[in-house]
Amino acid sequence: MKRRKFDLAATPGKAAVGVDDRFQVATPLRRLLNKVFPDHWSFLLGEIALFSFIVLLLTGVFLTFFYEPAMTEVVYDGSYAPLQGTPMSAAYASSLDLSFDVRGGLVMRQMHHWAALLFMAAIVVHMLRVFFTGAFRKPRETNWIIGSLLFWVGFLAGFTGYSLPDDGLSGTGLRIASAIMLSIPVIGSWLTSSIFGGEFPGTIIISRFFIAHVLLIPGLLLALISAHLGLVFKQKHTQWPGPGRTNGNVVGERMFPRYALKQGGFFMVVFGVIALLGGLFQINPIWLFGPYEAWVVSAASQPDWYVMFLDGSTRLMPAWQINIPIGDGYVIPPLFWPTVVLPGILVGLSTMYPFLEARHLKDRKSHNLLQRPRDVPARTAVGAMAVAFYIVLTLSGANDVIADKFQISLNAMTWAGRVGLLIAPPLAYYITYRLCLGLQQHDREVLAHGVETGIIRRLPDGRFVEVHQPLSAANGHADGHGELDYVGWVVPKKMNRLGALGPAVRGFFYPIEKPVEAPVSPGHPPVEPRGERAEIGSGETRH
Amino acid sequence: MSTHTEHQAPQGREPLDVNDPRLTRFDIVREGARRDDIEIVHYEPQVLPGTKAERRLTRVVAGFFLITGLAATAFLAIYIWWPWQYAPGRGGDKFYTPLLGATLGIALLAVGFGILTWGKKLLPKEVSIQDRHEGAVDADGRTITGQTMLYMADELGVKRRPLLGISLLAGLAPVAAVAAAPLVGGLISQPHKNNQMFTTGFATPEGGQRIRLVREDGRPVRPADISTGGQLTVFPGIEHGVSNRHADSPTLLIHLRDSDAQESRRANERVGHGDYMWGNYAAFSKICTHAGCPASLFEQQTNRLLCPCHQSQFLITDNARPVFGPASRRLPQLPIEVDSEGFFVAKSDYTETVGPDFWERP
Amino acid sequence: MTSDNDRRRGLLARLRGRPAVRSRGRRRLGAAVRLIAALMLAGGAYTVFAPGAQAQDNPPLTGAAAEGKALFDVSCVTCHGRNAQGVEGRGPSLIGVGAASVEFQVSSGRMPLARQEAQAHRKPPVFTDEQTRQLAQYIQELGGGPVVPEGDDLRDGGNVAAGGELFRINCSQCHAFGGGGGALSSGKFAPSLHPATDRQIYAAMLSGPQNMPVFGDNQITPEQKADIIAYIQETLKTDQDPGGFNLGRYGPSTEGLAIFLVGIVALVFASLWIAGKS
Repeated sequence: MKRRKFDLAATPGKAAVGVDDRFQVATPLRRLLNKVFPDHWSFLLGEIALFSFIVLLLTGVFLTFFYEPAMTEVVYDGSYAPLQGTPMSAAYASSLDLSFDVRGGLVMRQMHHWAALLFMAAIVVHMLRVFFTGAFRKPRETNWIIGSLLFWVGFLAGFTGYSLPDDGLSGTGLRIASAIMLSIPVIGSWLTSSIFGGEFPGTIIISRFFIAHVLLIPGLLLALISAHLGLVFKQKHTQWPGPGRTNGNVVGERMFPRYALKQGGFFMVVFGVIALLGGLFQINPIWLFGPYEAWVVSAASQPDWYVMFLDGSTRLMPAWQINIPIGDGYVIPPLFWPTVVLPGILVGLSTMYPFLEARHLKDRKSHNLLQRPRDVPARTAVGAMAVAFYIVLTLSGANDVIADKFQISLNAMTWAGRVGLLIAPPLAYYITYRLCLGLQQHDREVLAHGVETGIIRRLPDGRFVEVHQPLSAANGHADGHGELDYVGWVVPKKMNRLGALGPAVRGFFYPIEKPVEAPVSPGHPPVEPRGERAEIGSGETRH
Repeated sequence: MSTHTEHQAPQGREPLDVNDPRLTRFDIVREGARRDDIEIVHYEPQVLPGTKAERRLTRVVAGFFLITGLAATAFLAIYIWWPWQYAPGRGGDKFYTPLLGATLGIALLAVGFGILTWGKKLLPKEVSIQDRHEGAVDADGRTITGQTMLYMADELGVKRRPLLGISLLAGLAPVAAVAAAPLVGGLISQPHKNNQMFTTGFATPEGGQRIRLVREDGRPVRPADISTGGQLTVFPGIEHGVSNRHADSPTLLIHLRDSDAQESRRANERVGHGDYMWGNYAAFSKICTHAGCPASLFEQQTNRLLCPCHQSQFLITDNARPVFGPASRRLPQLPIEVDSEGFFVAKSDYTETVGPDFWERP
Repeated sequence: MTSDNDRRRGLLARLRGRPAVRSRGRRRLGAAVRLIAALMLAGGAYTVFAPGAQAQDNPPLTGAAAEGKALFDVSCVTCHGRNAQGVEGRGPSLIGVGAASVEFQVSSGRMPLARQEAQAHRKPPVFTDEQTRQLAQYIQELGGGPVVPEGDDLRDGGNVAAGGELFRINCSQCHAFGGGGGALSSGKFAPSLHPATDRQIYAAMLSGPQNMPVFGDNQITPEQKADIIAYIQETLKTDQDPGGFNLGRYGPSTEGLAIFLVGIVALVFASLWIAGKS
């Protein structure tokens, strides 16, 4: 009789015991739940890319239910009147149906496209964070390489997806892609012919791109993302220097429950922002571009933003054709350099950078503490140089739109881009380097003399000086100031950043962890060994 | 497992007996953390139970979740009842997608901020420190694994029995090729089949008639169809001529002014194209020699042809010489004349390769 | 299935499907008549365009043209010279450009020119409609040339689908897929079509202002012009974007800007808040 009584409250516990009996997961699960993650706003940038990828998978699966990857010619008879009766490929017709004849299809299509742009943008922003803070150093070089590969695989995913609707704009992009492949010396025509199944455009490229876009590339992305996250998990996240933080520990929050809740909430926020973008901002209005026809083009034909730098480099390239007078003669077209060689160099440089830097600095140590960009002026300046290079190229990719809307001569824009590409990066290097040194200098001044108070005092001899609030107690120096050592973290520079008058909103650009002990001080004592500290407990257990 | 924890535990700390009834739940949590080399150094509730602040925050979080419910319901209602079918002009259907996006976005953002507020404001703040065990490489482990692998290699005895290794390689290499063969063999396609890269739809068939220039609707073109300073996209008058199957064939037929035509004829003679024009009409390939876009922005006063993709500019009156931008090659010229019925025909195919450049082009 | 046949069938289906528009039969019937008329007109235009055509006696001007000449002699003579024969380095000859050209340039405010630059910009017109007509009449009587048909609504019965196809093949390379205009070489540009009226678009196609190619009635028939104008005015301008704010229809460049300025900025602020101390 007693056994029949069903105790609902004990069920989860019993089930848990049953699971553990079979799989012995209790201890590994505890480890997972307990894992400590450091918290800083800049550590969330990579998550934006991860969450956009999830949204891409969700919306992408929806799109495949309605999209038809075929180049068979059909005559459109859907509800978009301005294209009725137009001959077009089945791929384009089904993309139009997705936009006009599938309920809610347009919002899903637009969310998918915005999520793709966000994915790439977040990858770039995350990569900049990792670069400028030195998070790529040993032991994380592998993850840096995986991250760089993710950019290029994402680039391919974006390009193949962008080509699928087979509209006028994407067809023009595909035409350029075929010309890029053609430009490769020796194998160009064979490669193009093999990929397109004959002469451009052929009848099979859309189906091939489709399978690449929905299976091969997402599979590769998924594998790379899993490896990326697995390595972050295994190697533990880097952290900013600060009180109590050493190269050998991680200071932060345990994964559950607070950190996980924040991550879950952030996923919803990313998803929400993509939904708002997808609904409120029209993207890629394929119905205005018309079907792809080899003789049709629109002014301002551009690729999506992450491909635009290649378009820019192509536009800026002078018409240097190399003729090789052997036999009938061979040719290397100017298109080859900015679209095949340049990306090749960029892939090589970006993936190899951690090793190049370590070699240059003869640095073999493992680093788990991040560096402030100002503390490594050479790297920061090199990064600024790369960013300047990329921005000049990207702007040149849109130089016709800029020329038209700001009424600048198109030819002048091209020349400005050519000159800018040579001048801007070194200039960025120099300015950034000087800025870093200046910031370092100011940090040292504050550490040596204290914070400016704004109080002007007249000295007995008639001079005026500003009173400085020293950051440490007087230690016998003649002027009563003790000089502090720089510890690689934010130096308070205003009175209201000190003590009880700390900034109202914390975490904006400086550590969210309140120093466990005193503010930054030389030889800051490490956290006391465990076991000796005062009892602490949750609210519930305090009596 | 437990020995490992024991090993990592700092000196002088006995592991707690977690079955001790005197321990609070938090004591056990902290003990678990310590066994993972985590020290919870700071743990402080942000709001005390039963305070006004707690009630307020609870209401805020609940409010967010209710907004989600409302927005999601609105989404469903709009999805079902809002007019969504496309109609030309301005109308309610144009708000279907924005409304769906807005309600979905609000629903997701509200649930996100609800969860975030819950986690950020209602849960206790904590600072925990976990050891990385970086650098503390397990030297014994390395030795054992290394020796094990060497031992396995020895057991296999490839060194002693080299034939095994060689024959294995010799056997497997073709297998790898077998795996790759269908992929490569299936995909590979001869680019010069039918000389396709060097010919266009304008090629005069064996013993056949010269190909007419036709418009996008298939009608042949007469000289009077194009006004002075006008341009027309023409196609080969063959089956599928106006389609992507002949993506290299679209041609720009331009009617030049008298003075420009004279200049143009002189330029043509310089490159041996003296008889390519008919009257004041000249025909150039529309496919850019740079990347294959249709170079079709014809400026009728400057006689420049601009390609919108990479801004290459061609001077039509100088035999379409590239004068600006990345293009390095003239646009090929189609030799044209007018047949006995008064329609434009191609005297022959293009005499240069049409379209973007490639290695074996010359 | 041959694409060529498909294409024809497509056109056929389009026309059959919309009986309100001109029927295929009527089109065929009219084709022969139009062809003859077009050939005659083209021949006429050719003689007018040919050099030496302006060497004709000045016939007496009608009343409106006389008014136009008076205006011309005040406002235009500086650049276009006496009797509109042009001034070297300042303004071209207007003999034979026709009323269409005058109407386009003057009614869109491009003429009189504010200053010499790569290309004239659209401005509020200086002359009233009446004065524009008089100027056009004067130039027309001076040397003939293309004329825009009567009426303000020149897209009556235009088929937007046919117009769209014509727009993409003839117009979008310069004026862009959304009609917003685009850059040409060395500071020249194709203007936005958004402020243009039916008559101005028609006049521009007929006269080929500045660097725009001429699309005479033989190349694009008046019916096709009506189709194109219908597509521009109804689909591109009146038809609201179904996907929300269109970001100016500049294509991927503004979309790329938006993802950083809206998407990344919003999410960076969100992460600042999330990681910030409460």
